[in-house]
Amino acid sequence: MPSGPEFDAVLDAVRRTFVDGDSAPAATAVRPLEPAEARAVLGDHVAIAVTDRTVLADLVPGQDITRAIAIAGGEHGALVYTTRETGELPSAIAGAIEAATANLARTVRQLQGEAALLDALHAIGRELTAQLDIDRIVQDATDAATKATGAGFGAFFYNLIDEFGESYTLYTISGVPREAFARFPMPRNTEVFAPTFDGAGTVRSPDITKDPRFGKNAPHHGMPEGHLPVCSYLAVSVLSPTSGEVLGGFFFGHPEPDRFTPRHAYLAEGIAGYTAIALDNARLYDRERSLATELSRSMLPVAPPTPGLDVFTRYLPAATGSKVGGDWFDVIRLPSDATAFVIGDVAGHGVTAATVMGQVRTAIRSYALLELPPSEVLRNVSELTVGLFGESFVTCFYAVHRPADGTLVYANAGHLPAILVRPGEAPEQIGEALAQPLGVGSKFPQRTAGFPPGADLILYTDGLVESRTRDLTLGIEWLLAGIPGVLTAADLGKAWDKLVDDLTRGRHDDDIAVIHVHHRGEDAS
Amino acid sequence: MDLMHERDVTWDSSRGEAAGSAGSVALENRDGTAVLRVDGALDLALAPKLRRLAERAAQLQPTMLVIDLTGVTFLASAGMAELIRAHRGPTASAPLRVVASGRITLRPLELTRLADELAIYPSLSDALVP
Repeated sequence: MPSGPEFDAVLDAVRRTFVDGDSAPAATAVRPLEPAEARAVLGDHVAIAVTDRTVLADLVPGQDITRAIAIAGGEHGALVYTTRETGELPSAIAGAIEAATANLARTVRQLQGEAALLDALHAIGRELTAQLDIDRIVQDATDAATKATGAGFGAFFYNLIDEFGESYTLYTISGVPREAFARFPMPRNTEVFAPTFDGAGTVRSPDITKDPRFGKNAPHHGMPEGHLPVCSYLAVSVLSPTSGEVLGGFFFGHPEPDRFTPRHAYLAEGIAGYTAIALDNARLYDRERSLATELSRSMLPVAPPTPGLDVFTRYLPAATGSKVGGDWFDVIRLPSDATAFVIGDVAGHGVTAATVMGQVRTAIRSYALLELPPSEVLRNVSELTVGLFGESFVTCFYAVHRPADGTLVYANAGHLPAILVRPGEAPEQIGEALAQPLGVGSKFPQRTAGFPPGADLILYTDGLVESRTRDLTLGIEWLLAGIPGVLTAADLGKAWDKLVDDLTRGRHDDDIAVIHVHHRGEDAS
Repeated sequence: MDLMHERDVTWDSSRGEAAGSAGSVALENRDGTAVLRVDGALDLALAPKLRRLAERAAQLQPTMLVIDLTGVTFLASAGMAELIRAHRGPTASAPLRVVASGRITLRPLELTRLADELAIYPSLSDALVP
C-alpha cells in the first residue's frame, strides 16, 4: 500500500466524489492493491473505473459493489468502492483524474526509464572496469552492448600488439554463434567502417544498404554472400583514454530497418567508454607484469659447473596476481675453488622489487668474489641496502661450500632456515633465526657445518612453504617430510616439480625459488 | 573517550573465494593511544594501507602507537617491513607496541629476529597498560 500525504489526499478527493442522489457523501471503503493487482487492474492508467463484476468479486469477495475506482500509487494502488446507490458515474471521475495527471504520469515513466538506463550503464561499467582479463572484458562488453541496443547481433573488433610489436585484430560476437562469421575475412577499412576504425564518431543508419558509403568496395560491393542480413546499423569507436588511439570498434546490426534510436547510440557509446578504460587497465597491468617477469628472469643465473657438486635450481614466478619480482638465487664460483650459494627475497613486487633485487644480487656477488666471510658479506650488503634504498626488507641466506675442508660456512639475514641432509641422517634445519633481514639488521653471525660427500643442501624461498591458506610452521613440516622422497628419486627435476605441486596444491601465488646442492663426492675437478 | 574510526578494506579478486582474502586496517584513538587493528592477510595488498593509516595515526601525535595483529591470518614480509617502519621510520614519533599471539604472527617475527626489537604483547589490554 502506498503511503504518504499526497496519495492520502488523492484518495480523500476520490472518496468525496462518491455522493448519493441528494449530493450527500456516500459511505466508501478502500481496498489496497498489491503491485501485481495494480498492474492487472490499471494497466498503464493512473485511474480507472472498475465495472467488471468478476474483478470486483475477486478483489472484495461477498460485497455487492455498485461503483468502484482504482487509482495507481507508485507500484501499488488502491480500490475505492461503495455499495450504495450513487449519482455521478465513476468513469467520468476517473477520466477527469487521468486527464489532470496524464502529463505527470508520462514524465514519471520517462524519468523511470532514464533512471533504469543509467543504472544499467553504471552496473555494466562497474563490472567491466573491475576486470583485468582482456578476453573476458571484450566478451562481457559485447554481450552487454548487444543486449542494451536491442541489436540482432553485435561484434567487437579490437587491436592488440604481439610480442614483436606488430598489431593484429581479434573479435568477439554476441547474439549469434561465432561460426556465423567464421568464413568471412576481417572487415577492412572500407567507407562504411572507416569512421569507426579511424575514431571519427558514431555511425547510426536506419538502413545501411541505402547509405551512400555502402557497396563501394570490391570484391563484394556490399556484404559478402552468406553474411547475416544487416539493415539497421550502429557502430561506435573505442578510444583509449590515456593515449587517444583507437582500441577497437563495436558494430551492431539488425535485419529490420530503423531499429537503433539515439538512446541506443548513447548506451553503446557509454559501454564503449567503459570498455576503453577496462582495456587500458588490462594492457597497463599486463605490461607491468611482463616487465617484472622479464627483469626477474633476465637476472637469474645459469648455475655454473661446480666440480664434485650437482646443483639443481628452480625459479617459478608467481602464477597469479602482480607479486612477481622479489625472489632470486645465485650460484657463484669463488677464486679459491669454493662455491657460494645465495637465495633471497625482496619484500615488495613488480618492477621496483625486481630492480632492488638486481642491485642486491650484484652487491652480494661483488662482496662474495672478494671472498669475505659470510657474516661480512651480509653486513656490507645490509649497509649498502640502507644507503641505496632507505628502508628496505630483504631476506637472504648465504652459504659457502669449501671443498678444501669439506665444510659449509653460512649466515642468514632473516631468511627461512636451510635444510641439510647428511648421509644416513634425518633432514635438519640450519641457520634458523640467526639475524634480521638486510636493510634492517647490522650483525650477521655465521656458522659452520660439515658437508661430506653424499650430503644435500636445500635453500628455498617462502612461496614454497607459506601462503594465505598455509601456515608457515606446517608448510616447513610438509617440506621436510617430502625431502627424503626427492633425494631418492630417479629424476630430480620431476621430483621437485611434484613436491612443489603438492606443497602449493598446484597454485602458487608468490614467487618460488629453490637451490638443491648434492655433494657427489670426489670426482675429477 | 575520543573515538575516531577509519577503515580501509582491500580485496584482491585474483585470489578466489577459497582464501577468504579480505583484509582490513582500522584506526582508533583511545585516550591518546592510537590503535591500529589489522585483520586478515597482512601482505603486499594490505601493507600500503597499514602504512597510510600508521602515518595518519602519527599526525594525531599519540602518546603511544599499538598495532594489533590478533586478527591477522597471514604475516608476509611486506607486513613485517611496515612494522619496522612504524618502529624506526621517519614518521615513528610515538613508542610502538605490537599485539601478537599465536604462531601465525609470532613465528615470522622470530625467524626474522624482529621479535628481539619490537615490544610484543599477548593481548590488546596488556598493550594498553601504560
